[in-house]
Amino acid sequence: MCGIAGIYAYHYAANAVDRAELRRIRDHMAARGPDGFGEWISQDERVGLGHRRLTIIDLSERGAQPMTSADGKLVVTFNGEIYNYRQLRVALEARGRTFRTQTDTEVLLHLYAEKGEAMVNYLRGMFAFGLWDSEKNALLLARDPYGIKPLYYADDGWTLRFASQVKALLAGGKVSSNHEPAGWVGFCLFGSVPEPFTTYQEIRALPAGSTLWVDRVGTREIKQYFSVADTYCNAEPARSPASDEDLQRGVREALLDSVRYHLVADVPVGAFLSSGIDSGALVGLMRDAGQQEIRTVTLAFEEFRGRSEDEAPIAAEIAVQYGTRHTTRVVTEREFRDDLPKILAAMDQPTIDGLNTWFVSKAAHELGLKVAISGLGGDELFGGYPSFRDVPLCVCALAIPGRIPGLGNVARRMLTGLGHFSRLGNPKAAGLLRYGGSYAGAYLLRRGLFMPWDLESVIGVETARLGLRRLNPLRCIESVLKPRPRSAFGKVAVLESSLYMRNQLLRDTDWASMAHSLEVRVPLVDVELLRHLTTAPATYRSKTKRLLANSPRVPLPSKVIERSKTGFTTPIHGWLQRDRRIQQWRQVPELAAGKCPWARRWAFQVAAA
Amino acid sequence: MPVGTALGLSGGGGLNAMVGPSLRVLALVTDAFGGRGGIAQYNRDFLSSLATCDQIGDVIVLPRASATPLDTLPSGIRHLPPAQGRLAFSFGALRAAWAHRPIDVVFCGHLFMAPLAAVMARLLHARLWVQVHGIEAWQELSRLYRQSVEAADLITAVSRYTRRRLLEWIGIDPARVKVLPNTVGPRFHPGPKRGDLLDRHDARGKKILMTVSRLARSERYKGHDRVIRCLPQVFLHHPETIYLIVGDGDDRPRLEALASEFAVQDKVRFAGPVAGEELPDYYRLADVLVMPSTGEGFGIVFLEAVACGIDVIGGDQDGSVDPLGDGALGPAINPEDSEELVSAIFAALRKPATNVHGAARFKPQVFSKHVQALVCSHFIARS
Repeated sequence: MCGIAGIYAYHYAANAVDRAELRRIRDHMAARGPDGFGEWISQDERVGLGHRRLTIIDLSERGAQPMTSADGKLVVTFNGEIYNYRQLRVALEARGRTFRTQTDTEVLLHLYAEKGEAMVNYLRGMFAFGLWDSEKNALLLARDPYGIKPLYYADDGWTLRFASQVKALLAGGKVSSNHEPAGWVGFCLFGSVPEPFTTYQEIRALPAGSTLWVDRVGTREIKQYFSVADTYCNAEPARSPASDEDLQRGVREALLDSVRYHLVADVPVGAFLSSGIDSGALVGLMRDAGQQEIRTVTLAFEEFRGRSEDEAPIAAEIAVQYGTRHTTRVVTEREFRDDLPKILAAMDQPTIDGLNTWFVSKAAHELGLKVAISGLGGDELFGGYPSFRDVPLCVCALAIPGRIPGLGNVARRMLTGLGHFSRLGNPKAAGLLRYGGSYAGAYLLRRGLFMPWDLESVIGVETARLGLRRLNPLRCIESVLKPRPRSAFGKVAVLESSLYMRNQLLRDTDWASMAHSLEVRVPLVDVELLRHLTTAPATYRSKTKRLLANSPRVPLPSKVIERSKTGFTTPIHGWLQRDRRIQQWRQVPELAAGKCPWARRWAFQVAAA
Repeated sequence: MPVGTALGLSGGGGLNAMVGPSLRVLALVTDAFGGRGGIAQYNRDFLSSLATCDQIGDVIVLPRASATPLDTLPSGIRHLPPAQGRLAFSFGALRAAWAHRPIDVVFCGHLFMAPLAAVMARLLHARLWVQVHGIEAWQELSRLYRQSVEAADLITAVSRYTRRRLLEWIGIDPARVKVLPNTVGPRFHPGPKRGDLLDRHDARGKKILMTVSRLARSERYKGHDRVIRCLPQVFLHHPETIYLIVGDGDDRPRLEALASEFAVQDKVRFAGPVAGEELPDYYRLADVLVMPSTGEGFGIVFLEAVACGIDVIGGDQDGSVDPLGDGALGPAINPEDSEELVSAIFAALRKPATNVHGAARFKPQVFSKHVQALVCSHFIARS
């Protein structure tokens, strides 16, 4: 887990790589890799790669990056973990390949030499890398299937620059900071910036599950090698109904397999523990996988003490059940106030989330952990969100009226025209007829922060107009449903995994954890696990998380299973009211209105920062 | 049945027809061979390079402006008579497509022709290549133009700045927008100062600042006034310096008046229009080409000046940064900052010219190679 950077002056008219710029980009990511740094610049000075290292596998100097192949023809800078690197290494050694280190990085070099860009199909893990092939005179950029690890690039027409963070690219000083309206509109609609956009016109995210070649004519077409939608569509659910025991056994084995892979490390692996099923079950499975000592950490807030949102008591019980060394870390409003400037500085792209991950990662770092397991992804995999119920219901109810041309717009205008309708109820209700009849529209309603008609007052008329045109929100949502899964569960799972989880949860986890030099691993965001579950009998979908809760040898207590979902929340609502530095939202009437959701106010503050 | 097929104009199977080595290109341009000005020069360089590509069979050029084609055209170029006026040009394009079918690639040499080119490409089932030059692509155009450009398989912009400005208002994968800068021919090279020209402008023994451009009221962004306004300060420290303005146009009286206003009229020389053949000699007269412009699509004069071995100073707010090599070939200053301009001029006057090999990166051979690479990557490899 590290920070990667690179510059490729591919165009004949471009200046050679500026070493100082490369270092500025690289060292902006010092927190991602405090244990070491390196750089490599080609002989003709047209290519430069940089790396900041957080040592987790093969802690020796031999694992330093950028790493060059023995023949000097390939160079790679890599961020992430390849969990199946040992198996790959054995297979590569059987083909006569000789290794110099114990790292997963070297596996990438040999695997590329064997398979070319198709290598990505063999990798199990989270990764983003830039690999220079001096024979092809071309650079390969690649990102893991789910987009756990970030990879951004800026192509100005002469030179391509890439890095693990948007702000690192800007820190280099040569990337335009012109704003991208589509990125801002996306942030206001979804609460996070949807890839491939960023809030900067010149900087784009390499989409999850994609590769990109850059050669002397510049960036080629992005090739997608994995999509969640494809997996759901191609899966053939077992037809014969399985017994509950068989189903449970299959799910347990797949989960345990993923957890085992995610424990591969040369340093201790801890875990975030909440009062929910996902993290609790993973801790149980870590124990089943044979991990002797498990350090767990739970966040608690004074404001939640004695209320249902307080995760500490149940988390402590789970910790006792699985015998972990447990820490409850209390976060106060004062600490939030102190950390706020650092949070906003570390926030790579605007988002309404990530605060919780910031504090829990900080706590894990204080405990000396370099790696922590997170239960992120459980809701997407096991249908834990209300959207799995609400979105299909909404589509079913509104599909026919939604098809009547113009009706949705008329209804929306009438309702919003009734004098601040939004203050009277759910501000999204006015869009029900306009959007509710399709999966893309219903999902926008479910996950939307602001609605398209709110944007002008938040980001201005011109940015809203241009951004809506460039982003095309419904087409953006619909695009992840290609191919389109047949089942309602599949469609919502794809939407949640490819939009909310990818653009918000995973991205926030990355910046908030890496700011504390902590690697967060997500065993529930794993392609092999997904493949297993999508081919399991369809009955697993109705059992949702009970299967997960019962997967550890010692199942989670029933009070955890039956507890209503609270999410991983912070008391930001109150903090927003009181912190004088973040009161700009009061100047916008729509945000100052009493029933305005706190997330809208926070979004406004984040955008203003 | 597709309209193009019905009309008998179809490219004969689109992609499959492009697998073969000989693509036929229909180039719709404002002017090229025999034309004057930067765009005509660019088109000539580009079309000549295109015609030499291994994968290109022939290039049919339909210009819009009336011009006298050169007696000898590069091999592979077929130059049709110009068709003036929108309607005549559109019919001319259809006629050319019919006469020379099948057409594999439609090249659109100017953004304002993009709607016609997009329709032609669609009718012909051909690929569309749109070239954008400068200021015409910097502002958002109507939906018709936007969608026409978005339909392109490849867009080439003359500079990174123009590319960026275009990408501000069109919705297209940026990977489809490449930069293809101007090139500079071998006649621009370092050499001695021509004595007769020095005499003509009473410039013997003097340092010469020079600007080369049209003096058009519509192109005041070139920045002659910015230079004139800082001349008193320059002359104070470098009294043996003159400012030679090459070019002519309807803004000249205003600039002459401005020179008088700042009491530098004795040292500001207006050379008037200079024939293309004489231009390299004029560059060689100068010690520094200075053009603090804010509206250059690329700024070919910087490149020509650098190729002639003289120092250059340009602005950092437009396409000028490309021929200036981001400052590697000459300082890119904030054109609105007179102090920065004066400092850059002082620095340039104090040192001997250093740009002897500066323009090598833009030489025609490299340009041609890149055109070929673009053809291969966008019209061959994808087939």
